[in-house]
Amino acid sequence: MKRTLSFLTMPGMQTIRTGFQHFSFLILMYGGRFGIHLGSAVPCFACPYVPGCGGYCYLMGLQGYIGFGLRVLSWHAVWTALGWLAVFVILVAVFGKAWCGWVCPFGLIQDWLTALRKKLGVRERIISPSIRNCLTWLRYGLLVYLALVPPLVTAGILSDDFYLPFCNICPGKALLPLFAGETKYLALNLENTVTLAFSLVLLLITGIMLVGMFFKERFFCFFCPLLALIHLLKPLTALGLIKTPSSCVGCGTCSRACPMDIEKLEEDTSDIQGGECLNCLRCLEACPSSAALNLRFFRLKPVSSSGGRP
Amino acid sequence: MNPDFEQERRQRLFQKAVRKNRDETARVLETLRNREDYRPELDYFLNLAADTSATAAEKRSGRPALRLLCLQAPLELIHAAGFQPFKVFSGSLSTSTLATQDFPALICPLLRAVLGEMILNENDAPGLPWVLPTTCDWVVKFPEMLALTGHPSKPEFHWLELPHLKNRRDSRERWLGEIWRLKEFLEQISKRPIKRGALLESIEIYGHAAEILQRLKIARENGRLSSVWFMLILNAFFLDAVEKWTTRAEILLSALTAGRITGGRVFLAGSPIVFPNFKLPFLFEEAGLSIVADDLCSSERLFPGKTFITDTSVFGLISTLAGRYHQGCLCPVFADNDRRINNILGRRTNASFHGIIFHVLKGCHPYDLESFSLENGLKAHGLKFIRLETDYAPEDGQNLLTRLEAYHATLTDK
Repeated sequence: MKRTLSFLTMPGMQTIRTGFQHFSFLILMYGGRFGIHLGSAVPCFACPYVPGCGGYCYLMGLQGYIGFGLRVLSWHAVWTALGWLAVFVILVAVFGKAWCGWVCPFGLIQDWLTALRKKLGVRERIISPSIRNCLTWLRYGLLVYLALVPPLVTAGILSDDFYLPFCNICPGKALLPLFAGETKYLALNLENTVTLAFSLVLLLITGIMLVGMFFKERFFCFFCPLLALIHLLKPLTALGLIKTPSSCVGCGTCSRACPMDIEKLEEDTSDIQGGECLNCLRCLEACPSSAALNLRFFRLKPVSSSGGRP
Repeated sequence: MNPDFEQERRQRLFQKAVRKNRDETARVLETLRNREDYRPELDYFLNLAADTSATAAEKRSGRPALRLLCLQAPLELIHAAGFQPFKVFSGSLSTSTLATQDFPALICPLLRAVLGEMILNENDAPGLPWVLPTTCDWVVKFPEMLALTGHPSKPEFHWLELPHLKNRRDSRERWLGEIWRLKEFLEQISKRPIKRGALLESIEIYGHAAEILQRLKIARENGRLSSVWFMLILNAFFLDAVEKWTTRAEILLSALTAGRITGGRVFLAGSPIVFPNFKLPFLFEEAGLSIVADDLCSSERLFPGKTFITDTSVFGLISTLAGRYHQGCLCPVFADNDRRINNILGRRTNASFHGIIFHVLKGCHPYDLESFSLENGLKAHGLKFIRLETDYAPEDGQNLLTRLEAYHATLTDK
């Protein structure tokens, strides 16, 4: 336990996380204006539609490389796609889902809405286990959708308006550019029937998500295909959450504190990182048992639950 | 039997119990005051222990005292409703003699002492109903036993039906329903709604008390505070406003100087130990054993600790409290209580103890039964285990001391 970073296990870790989220928000939303650009494989919703952004979400790259790569079929396109894939895998392998809990700008917007709900004392809605199960399938379904549609565009089966099929319906596209003064993605695109349909769907989804995100913490994350993609790389990730079952008293504080209400945290097993985990470490901060929950980084346990001990 | 004679006999018994009760409390308080590690900052807690009645708690806290048995009713909710949560427990041998007739021979000594206290202090804050969770059989039968004593106050009892399974979703939902009913009940008797702000404030107040409890635990582990004082401080928790208790405990903590544990470091598990029955804590010290941690519901588990809030709506707060007081409870009345052992093993990391003393109050069947399964599990982890079955009577003191001394010797055997 000597390696434990005690300052992170103290109550207040969530304040550090919030600070880091805001810092990341500034970098990813406005970094480009100061010459900072983190490339096209950022494993979170760094929206390329934000003017002057500091990096691009890998989902956009993935859709683009699949569609564009197949269209040009050049070695350059293949190496570029593989290069960014490698960067994405390395970033996920090192930091895992901390991208979702600590970096994602869209996650921060959700957290702002949650803070507002808490301030107003409005009750949080609970998503039942059966619906959560369906949403897991939907997350992976969206991943399949964004990977399958671009080849159909390349093959000429679908029109070019289906290019970047997930971005066309992503609420991040509608909301994140607003922070850079860009409002055009909230307008209806009357260019043709497909663009009109996409812009209508985008507005509808954005509206639903805004309401959902107000009433349920991290509501959008239940649908996020990037979360699903990062979870697929779980066997490679160095950063994760593990439990010492022999230290857990089963009080359930962890799952009650979890923004995603993950019940797996309570299980009597060491592998408790569920598909919806965001690595926000709130469970770890809330846990009343010393060293029951631990953050794993390679073979180290740099942060462990302190049980409220200084 | 001649009714007059019976009446006279009862009267004599009553007078004797009054006298003995006074002497018993005074003797223990005197012993505590004469200890080498006594500090003036402890006077506050000693004064609270001198009068453990609900009336005194009402006067001190300035709130009507709501009596509780066991630990499952959320204290924050009761506090937010404007009441002083008052856990009813007694360690008085003299009062328990008043409640010997009409009951089985092997009745829980703690509840017998409570019944005795009720008989002794007939006029002690009789007005408010009691809150009773259906924990063990003795608690379930408590109102019946109280009626059998012929006690003149006929209090109302608000039952909380405690699901004895913690890990099932439907059990948790049922318990949440019980806590909502408790809220309605509290609003009904206080004639005012429990507002979100008041509940948040109470959660914060008890959260601060939990932080202080954590610091007291560390002070005991470091030898800065002896286990006897630790137990007294925790026993006094319900006898005054929580804010005052917290402030006084904080003052004490800042006054404590460095300490060192010389005897065998042990963990105390099992049935509660309640003032003035400090027979066992004194015997542990006499045998050279230091209790560095425990899981007694009269001590470390007195309240479940800080509540971590994520949903600040009334629904969210009630749900969190319900979960914390049900799932987080390690009382042996639960059927799926297998992770209780983890609490003991987890405490080992910080408290570094080598053995477990398991205290069973005669008649306390859930603890009695659970001691056997715990014994096997704890021995497998290399911990020396001793089971002490006793009651409030002092007669077995020498016998217990001999066993404890022998146990201490095994702790130092390598």
